[in-house]
Amino acid sequence: MVLLQVTLTLLLWQSGAGGLIPAPTKIAAALGHLLTTRLLSDNILVSLLLTGQAMFWSILITLGFAYLSVIPFFSSIAQFIVKCRYLTLTGLIFIFTLLTRDGSQLKLSLLVAGIVPFFTTSFLSVIVNIPKQEFELCQTLGYSRWQSLYEVIIVGKADQVFEILRQNFAISWMMITMVEGLSMSEGGIGTLLIRYNKYNDLTNVIALQMVIFGIGLCFDYLLGTLRRWLFPYTKL
Amino acid sequence: MTTYTKEEVLLQARGLSLSYDNACILRDVNFSIRDIVRPGLQQGQVVSLIGRSGIGKTQLFRVLSGLQKPGAGSVTIRQRLAARTVPVSLCTEHPVQPGDMGVVFQNYYQFGWRTVRQSLLLAARQNKALGCTEKDAIEAYAARFELSGVLHQYPQQLSGGQQQRVSIIQQLLKGSDFLLLDEPFSGLDVCVLDKVAELLVQVSLSDELKTLIIVSHDIDTTVSISDTVFILGKEAGKPGSTITREIDLIGRGLAWQKDVRKEKAFADTIAEIRGCL
Repeated sequence: MVLLQVTLTLLLWQSGAGGLIPAPTKIAAALGHLLTTRLLSDNILVSLLLTGQAMFWSILITLGFAYLSVIPFFSSIAQFIVKCRYLTLTGLIFIFTLLTRDGSQLKLSLLVAGIVPFFTTSFLSVIVNIPKQEFELCQTLGYSRWQSLYEVIIVGKADQVFEILRQNFAISWMMITMVEGLSMSEGGIGTLLIRYNKYNDLTNVIALQMVIFGIGLCFDYLLGTLRRWLFPYTKL
Repeated sequence: MTTYTKEEVLLQARGLSLSYDNACILRDVNFSIRDIVRPGLQQGQVVSLIGRSGIGKTQLFRVLSGLQKPGAGSVTIRQRLAARTVPVSLCTEHPVQPGDMGVVFQNYYQFGWRTVRQSLLLAARQNKALGCTEKDAIEAYAARFELSGVLHQYPQQLSGGQQQRVSIIQQLLKGSDFLLLDEPFSGLDVCVLDKVAELLVQVSLSDELKTLIIVSHDIDTTVSISDTVFILGKEAGKPGSTITREIDLIGRGLAWQKDVRKEKAFADTIAEIRGCL
């Protein structure tokens, strides 16, 4: 079914292509060429490393604030972080430039600042929706507050942290092209995309978009598989 | 005639009241449970708390378990802590706290991320009396309750009856003398119902101080395994529910009998209870 839909779309695209919009065959040829060059693999590696670092720090910060949100002082801070989803980073880039040492740090801090509000929103909703009975079962077993927090939120919701990670990987992967355009010296798939875009090389731009899309899907599948393997009860 | 005596008070509820949004739910609830001693036997106590739906049984259940603080009054218990050899008369009375009582919820709630073995181990580790024998205790209980084959499974993979037994074992492993059960017979078919009733009798006979408090509206089954019945109901012209009647089934010769349901006195008692509701 999916194969039929894809084939139909490609056929329609191929027949309607012309002028500025490149045909799928041209894009496939460009993609094939890109895949054989080291340029693409090197830049993908740079982008993946940056995304990995950003995800790592974002998770640490999110979990810190989310776990501490049960304490009233941190609850309001966590709520403020949630509201920061509505802040656009564009106007804040100069401030981030002043606060960071180099381009690498600037990109990382922008990514983290962009991801954390979405991570925190997702994880706080998990915490808010914990059934009261999970804490009551802990109480009946004679657990202290910290033991209950460990069992119900840290151990019990580890699978959901992983799911949030999987869902929000898309956000960080989408943002990578934006932040890499700010400091192009280190390269990255975003830098490559901006360069092709600058020269209006739409064939390579779409080919590169395909690569970004494909990597995103691969990671989505990989993280999903890893979650089912680490937390087998999620399959039940 | 069965020889028995009623000794120390194990649980005392004094003047319990509870209100929600100015609506009185429980009013002046008073009752006590005493240690029943039968020569040559380890006889625990099985007390049933019977009332109509919506009368406040679950609220009283939560207050007794320490999960809910009453608006007024107190629940005090007398139980052995770590050393099970200490006679109960030497244990001091203290207000009930969450964790003092074993609680089996109506839906047999378990941690969905823990296997049965892990859940039982979590409970057993809370029981200092088990020392380093937690794993042996789990194996022994699992064998006794026919759960050895499902120890590696998650709660979602178990049937309702198996989940209930896991909940009971979990609370028994924790080592509390008191076990509160909220509607343990609801939703069970006839065959399983009798098995569960038999299981609870076994639990009550496992220790002299083991005290089961069953909150239920299944009158027949509950009364057939109880030694005392408390009826929660309303008094004319007064708000909230309270204990309106206490029935001593031992005095009527209806406790600790396997085929008690066949007796006329049992049928009369059931009719009497129904009349009180």
